[in-house]
Amino acid sequence: MGDWHQQVEALRAQADELPEGDAKVRALEEAVRLVDVHGDVPLGYELRDALIDAATFGGYPDKALVAFAWCRGQQKKDPQRFDPEDMLWKQKWVVGRLDEFPHISRKQIADALDDVEQSFAKLDAGKRAALKLRYQMARDMGDTAEAERLWEAWLVAPRDHLTDCRVCELDDELDHHVDKGEWEQAIQKAKPILDGRQSCAEIPHLTLGTLLYPFFKLERMKEARDCHVRGYAMVAKNREFLSTVGEHLEFLALTGNLSRGLTLLEKHLGWALEHASHRDRFSFYTASSFLLGQVVADGRDEVSLRLPKAFPLHAVDGGYGTRALQDWLESQARDIAARFDARNGTQRFTGLLARNTVLAKEARLFPLD
Amino acid sequence: MGRTHAFIHPRRGIVAPGRKQRATLDGRVDHRFQVSLRGVIDLLSHHLYSSPGVYVRELLQNATDAIRARQQLEPQATGAVGLELREKQDGGPPTLLFTDEGVGLTEEEIHRFLATIGESSKREQLEARRNDFIGQFGIGLLSCFMVCDELLVVTRSAKGDGRTLEWRGRHDGTYDVRVSEHPLDAPGTHVYLVARPDMVEWFTPERVRQLAKHYGGLLPFPVRLTVDGKTETLNPDGPPWRRFYETPGDRRQALLEYGREVFGTDFLDVIPLRSEAGDVDGVAYVLPASPHFNAKQKHRVYLKQMLLSESAENLLPEWAFFVKCVVNGNGLRPTASRESFYEDTVLAKAREALGQSLRKYLMDLAHEEPRALQRLIALHGLSVKGLALDDDDFYRLVINWLPFETSLGVMTLADYRRSWPVVRYTPTLDGFRQVARVAAAQGLCVLNAAYTHDTALLEKLPHVVPEAQVAPFSSADLPQSFEELTLDEREAIYPLLRLAEAVLAPFRCGVEVKKFFPAEVPTLYSSDAEGAFRRDAERAREESDDLYAGVLDGVMAGAGGQERALLCLNLHNPVVRRLAEVEGRELLKLSVEMLYVQALLLGQHPLNAQEMALLNHGLLGLISARLDEGGGGGGSSGPGSRGMH
Repeated sequence: MGDWHQQVEALRAQADELPEGDAKVRALEEAVRLVDVHGDVPLGYELRDALIDAATFGGYPDKALVAFAWCRGQQKKDPQRFDPEDMLWKQKWVVGRLDEFPHISRKQIADALDDVEQSFAKLDAGKRAALKLRYQMARDMGDTAEAERLWEAWLVAPRDHLTDCRVCELDDELDHHVDKGEWEQAIQKAKPILDGRQSCAEIPHLTLGTLLYPFFKLERMKEARDCHVRGYAMVAKNREFLSTVGEHLEFLALTGNLSRGLTLLEKHLGWALEHASHRDRFSFYTASSFLLGQVVADGRDEVSLRLPKAFPLHAVDGGYGTRALQDWLESQARDIAARFDARNGTQRFTGLLARNTVLAKEARLFPLD
Repeated sequence: MGRTHAFIHPRRGIVAPGRKQRATLDGRVDHRFQVSLRGVIDLLSHHLYSSPGVYVRELLQNATDAIRARQQLEPQATGAVGLELREKQDGGPPTLLFTDEGVGLTEEEIHRFLATIGESSKREQLEARRNDFIGQFGIGLLSCFMVCDELLVVTRSAKGDGRTLEWRGRHDGTYDVRVSEHPLDAPGTHVYLVARPDMVEWFTPERVRQLAKHYGGLLPFPVRLTVDGKTETLNPDGPPWRRFYETPGDRRQALLEYGREVFGTDFLDVIPLRSEAGDVDGVAYVLPASPHFNAKQKHRVYLKQMLLSESAENLLPEWAFFVKCVVNGNGLRPTASRESFYEDTVLAKAREALGQSLRKYLMDLAHEEPRALQRLIALHGLSVKGLALDDDDFYRLVINWLPFETSLGVMTLADYRRSWPVVRYTPTLDGFRQVARVAAAQGLCVLNAAYTHDTALLEKLPHVVPEAQVAPFSSADLPQSFEELTLDEREAIYPLLRLAEAVLAPFRCGVEVKKFFPAEVPTLYSSDAEGAFRRDAERAREESDDLYAGVLDGVMAGAGGQERALLCLNLHNPVVRRLAEVEGRELLKLSVEMLYVQALLLGQHPLNAQEMALLNHGLLGLISARLDEGGGGGGSSGPGSRGMH
C-alpha cells in the first residue's frame, strides 16, 4: 500500500491526457476512492476539484454534484483551508443543472439558488452570474413570466469576475430568441460564433445545434447543412452533448435524412439509457420519437438496427418494428415530461413533446448525401 | 500628384471603397477619428504578426497575388519574384529591393489600398479584407513598417496607361504619390525597404534567404535572391512530393530526408496524400514514437503553395494522430488565425479523402507486410484502434492482431478466442483489478478493456464477426464460476450464513458462501459500477451540509443501481472454515463485520462513517475477546489475525 500516492498520481496524469469523456471521469473517480481509502482529505479535495470539471464537461452532472457536495462539506468544516470562494465558479455549473433531476424538489432548487446568491453577495460580486442562473432555471422549468423578468434583469447587470465569458453568454442568449421564434435575430447574434471568431470549451458545439432549426425555418438549407456537418462532428464523442445530438437527430428527421438519423440513434441510445440528466434524456427521446414517426410515415414497418444490449426491447437479430420502437421512445419522453411538469408545476415539457406534431407537418426533403 | 497626403485624411482617408461618405441631415460633413498609424502598426505587430520576419511573408504574398492577377489577364505570363540586398558603402543600414512581375497598381488602386490601411485596426475586419487583393496589399505593406521607417513602391500597372508611379510612405502616417522619373519597362512592382537601424538583423543575407525559403520555398514561379551581384534561385524544384524519382526507394529516401528537414524528426515511413476536395496533396510522416492520446499533431500547410501555417491541426480525421503532414491545398479556406482551416464541407470531404489515403496505407501493410503493421500497432495502437472503430473493413483486418491485457497475461484477440468461446471483458481498470487475481485462480481469462477504445472495439465484435460472443464481466459475475457447496457443507454453514445476512443487511450487502481459489482469499466483495457510485454519494452525503445532503438524496432517488452488493465467503479459506464451527454469537458477529470491512478495504472501497465505526469498534472487540480468552497469555495463535493487513 506504500505506493498508493504513486498510483493516485498515475491516475491523475492519465486523466490529464484523456479527452473529455467517460475514461477521464473514471480515472479521477478511481483516484478519489484510493485517496479516500487512505483518508487524505486535502488530496481528496484537490482531486474532486478536478473531477467536478471532468464530470461537468464529460456528461456526468450527477458525479459533479456528488464531488461538489463532498467539497462543500469540507468548506463548511474548515473554510480557512478549503476556501469556498475558489469553488464559486464551479458551484454555478453544479447548481445550474439541479433542475435536470426530477427528484430534486423546487424548494431544494430555490434554496441552492439563494445559497449561490448569498455566497456571491459576500464577495459583493456575481450579480450578473446569479441572475443568469435564475433566468435559465425559470426558463427550463417553464416559469415563463419569471424568465421574462429575469432575462431583462440579467442583460443589464454589470459584468465581473464571476460572469461567464462573453461567448458563453452570447450562446445562452440565443435560447431566448429561439423560444420566441426570432430566427433571424438568433442567427445574427450568433454570427461571431458561426464565423469561428469566438469560441469556448463548448462553443460553437452547442451553438451549431441550436441554430439548425432557425436555419431550417428560414429555408437557409446550405447553412443548416453546414451547421450539421461541422456541429455533429464536435459533439459525437462526448455524452455531455446528448441533448445537442438530439437537435441533430431532429434536423435529420425534419429533412428526410432518415437513414442518417437512425445511425445517430444507434450510436447514442446507449448514452440516453443511462444519462444522469433527465432533461438531456428527454431531448434525445423526443427527437428520436419524432424520427421514428417519420420512418413510420415513410411506410417502413421494420428496420435493422444495432442497439445496445441494455435497451429493454433489445433484439438479438437487430430487427425492430418501427411502431413499437416509436412507442417506447415516446413513452420514455412522456414519463420524464410528466415528472418534470409535476415537479415544476408547469406544462413546458408536455408542450415540448407535443411540438413533434408540428415538426411532422414542417418536414421537408433536403438530402444530405 | 506630388502632394503629401496623410494616410488618414478627412477627404478620402478612411472610407471603404464603394461605401458612401456620410453627410448629416443639416448638410455638415462628418469628421473622422484620427488614427495613429504608429498605433495601428503596434497593434498589428502584437496581434496579427508573430514576428518582424513576417514582412517577407507579406511581401511574398502580395507578389504571389499580383502574379496570379496578371496571369488572369495574360495567361502566358510566368511571373518571377526578386529579392536584392544592397549594402550601403558607408556602412549605413542596407536596403532590400523586392520586385515582382505582377499586375502592378494603378493610381486609383494606390489610393484605395491606403484607404484600407487607415480604415480599421480591428483584426477581424482586416482579416475580411484579406480576401480582396487590393485590401490585402495594403495590410501586407503595413507589416514592413515593423522593420523600416520609409517605404518606396514603384509600380506599373498592366491595366493602366503605361505610366510608372512612385508611392513613398512614412511611418508617421504621411505619403505622397508621383509619376516616376525612372519608368519601369514592364508591368510589375518594386518595393524598396531601407532597414531601420535597430532592425538590421532582419536584413542580413542569411536571414532574408532563410525567410524567403521558409515562406516561399514551394512557390510555382522562381524566387531569386541577389547578394553582392550573385543571384540564386531559392525554390528550384517545387514540392518534393511532386518531383520525379528514379525508384520508389529513392523517392522514399528523399521524402524522409525532406521530413527530417521540415520537422527535425527521423520518421518511420512516408505516406502520399491526395484529395480532390480542396485540391490537396502532400505527404504524411509516421511518427517514430507514440504520441499522447488525441495529441493534435501540428501539420505544415501551404495554401496555393505559399506557407500558411506550421501548426494546422484540423486537417486529418481524429484517429490519425500517428502522422505529421506537409500538404498544399488550393481550395481550402483558412481561419482568421491562419492556424487551421475553416470547418466547412470542403474540409470535411478533404479530411475524409486524406483519411482514405492513410487507410489505404494501413490496408496495404496488413496485406503485404503484416509484420510491419504489427510494429506499427505496438507504437500507434490507439490510431489503429480509432480507425478500426470507424471502419468495418479495416476492423476485420486488424482486430485479431490487437494485443489486450488479460487476467492470464497479454495476448492478441485471436489467441484469446482460440481458447475461450466468449470474450469476457471489464470496462474499468478498477473492475479489472478486482477480478483479475481471483479470476486467474479459477482459470478464467478476463480481458481488461479499460484502455481507450477497447470496450467500444470489443462491443463492435459481434456486429462485424457475427459468430463472436462478447460479454462484460464484473466481480458480480465471479461467484457464478465458483464451486457450489456440498449438501453437508451447506448444512454446516447455514447458521453462519443466516447470521452474516442479518449483520450485513443494514449495509445493503447480501451474503453467499462458495468455494473458490486462491484459498488465501477469505471473501470477495462485489458490486456494479452504480453500486460504487452509490457509495461515493453516501460518503459525500455524510460530509456535506443539510442543503446538499438533501439535493443528493434527490439525485440518488432518480438513479439506477438499486442492486445490492454481495459478500461471497470462500469455504476453501481456513478462517472461514473455522468460523463455521464457532458457537459464540457475539464473536461470530464481530468476525463477519471485520471480514466485511476487510473485503471493502482490499477492494479499495473507501469506508463510510458506519463502516468506519464498525472497524474501530471491531478491532477493540477482537482485542478484548483475545484478552478475555487468553488472559493475555500465549495459547494457539488464531488464524483470524492474519487476514487483517
